[in-house]
Amino acid sequence: MKKEDSKPTLEARRAFLAKLGGAASCAGVVVGAATLGVVPAIAAKTGAPPDAGSFPTKDYDWTKHQWGFGVDATKCIGCLRCVEACKNENEVPRNAHQFRTWVERYVHLEGEEAVRIDSQQDPVNIQASGSEKEFRFANRYKDAKVDKAFFVPKLCNHCAHPACVQVCPVGATYKTEDGVVLIDHDYCIGCRYCVQACPYGARYFNEEKGVSDKCTWCYHRITKGLQPACVEVCPVGARIFGDQKDKQSPISLFIRNNRVQVLRPESGNAPNVFYVGIDKEVN
Amino acid sequence: MPKHIFRLVSLIAGFLAVTIIAIPFLVPDSFYRFGHYRANSVIEIAAQEPVLQTANYCKDCHTERHAQWSASNHKSVTCEICHGTALGHPQKGKLPIPKDAARLCTLCHEAMPGRPRTQPQIQVAQHSSGQQCNVCHNPHSPKIAAALVKVAGNAAAGKRKAADCAACHGEAGISPNDTWPNLAGQHAAYLVRILAAYKSGDQKDVAMTPLAQALGDADIQNLATFYAGLNCKGAAGGKAAGDAAAGKVLAKNCVACHGETGIGSNPAWPNIAGQQPGYLVNVLKAFKAGLRKDPMMAGVSRGLSDTDIANLAAYYAAQNCQSPKQGKAKP
Repeated sequence: MKKEDSKPTLEARRAFLAKLGGAASCAGVVVGAATLGVVPAIAAKTGAPPDAGSFPTKDYDWTKHQWGFGVDATKCIGCLRCVEACKNENEVPRNAHQFRTWVERYVHLEGEEAVRIDSQQDPVNIQASGSEKEFRFANRYKDAKVDKAFFVPKLCNHCAHPACVQVCPVGATYKTEDGVVLIDHDYCIGCRYCVQACPYGARYFNEEKGVSDKCTWCYHRITKGLQPACVEVCPVGARIFGDQKDKQSPISLFIRNNRVQVLRPESGNAPNVFYVGIDKEVN
Repeated sequence: MPKHIFRLVSLIAGFLAVTIIAIPFLVPDSFYRFGHYRANSVIEIAAQEPVLQTANYCKDCHTERHAQWSASNHKSVTCEICHGTALGHPQKGKLPIPKDAARLCTLCHEAMPGRPRTQPQIQVAQHSSGQQCNVCHNPHSPKIAAALVKVAGNAAAGKRKAADCAACHGEAGISPNDTWPNLAGQHAAYLVRILAAYKSGDQKDVAMTPLAQALGDADIQNLATFYAGLNCKGAAGGKAAGDAAAGKVLAKNCVACHGETGIGSNPAWPNIAGQQPGYLVNVLKAFKAGLRKDPMMAGVSRGLSDTDIANLAAYYAAQNCQSPKQGKAKP
């Protein structure tokens, strides 16, 4: 700098800082590359069997499937057997506040502007069922003048661009190759960012286990060729499940033969649960 | 290199070295195999055992029930909805038979705003006057099989045809023999249903099958009308072997369909008051053994011993077939 006295001091300083910055970022790239290079190498060494063969089980290759779920709200009778089956199948706490799947009731009364919405946590419904461990919709509108009413099953939407996965600070929740969003209960630190991030309220915090939990589309069942528990028990066929890669699967036919919609498309999550027969109030 | 720069650089280098060495130990196995998560967690989740076993699991042992259920309009209601999850059954014991059927059935069938019209629904307060659903409906095949048949026959024509039946069932529909049923005053709809069943082969009997096969549909209507119009006054309870008092206690289970004194409320179900006791015994045994098919009767007769059957027969045989109608004409 002493040699180039002709240059104004300010410019010289700027040039120096630019060089320093460049050098620093070069060093960063080198170190970063080294780190990234080492980690997969180590992981591959200590990890599961090599890529040859199917993953995650011997008989199931996740690259061959792309699961999807359909809900036909025009068929739902609100019997809540899906909720019951889900709780049994997945060790969901037995109470009226934590669910992997639940059913909402939308009721328009004559002369009322707003829609009335209730679900299992509503005290009237808890009273009708007798306890928080059983589930039943109270017949609370039997004497009311009902303009319109319908039931809507809800569950995790297994979005193509899941907000919950994006916010997880430790990589404990992720999207699988076959289109399911899963939670690694061993790795979850229980920070609940994902519970906050989900626009659908599909996640809950399991205090017993200290982890977030949500619907997995019964990943342990679908990888064995079974249906998710809620689909299995639905007596009216309001829940449809299948492989979107198979053009003749129930879900492909459901999407093809119906005008389907997803919840909150504006959120940009691109859900994979497709609804038929719901109003704009449902989201 | 100035000393302070050397110190700084070596400090950074040392820190980086420690980090790079530590990372493989801190990152769990299989973490970056597919992405920023543990690939092994997918394997762990996929390896969990299903709790719900599906109806196929029940099929091999409960073959008969499974067959009945899978042919019924309840086939979309799987076993585990009512009986609970089957994981661990039968090793860990029996699955429950729901005690409060009314509570269970109304989960789906209570009339409620929001349920689609196609769903069969009942006004609980008016439907059963507090009785359990499985008194009249078999949960494995809930549709009441004996749908009401319309009978519009000609009694006079029936009388001519009935000449062929008189040898066994009596000229006035009062059977001379303990083992053959009285027909006088029986519900016409029931007679039509049973004759049609003999004709189609759904129900079999050495004597009745060929006779019924010779009948036309009009003949069946005429015969039913004729016998339904006869007076059962002459029906004699006869010499019953059982204990009528004990039978009365058991008869509580039959009341819903056959009435307190054997006068059925629904014309599709037979009156059994004053019926021949020997016939009643045979029929109940046939239901119990599965020789006569009826989902409802198969269920209620299964638990009856031979003594129970004799007692029931004695009780109903002793009832007056003309006792005031308690049942309504409509179901």
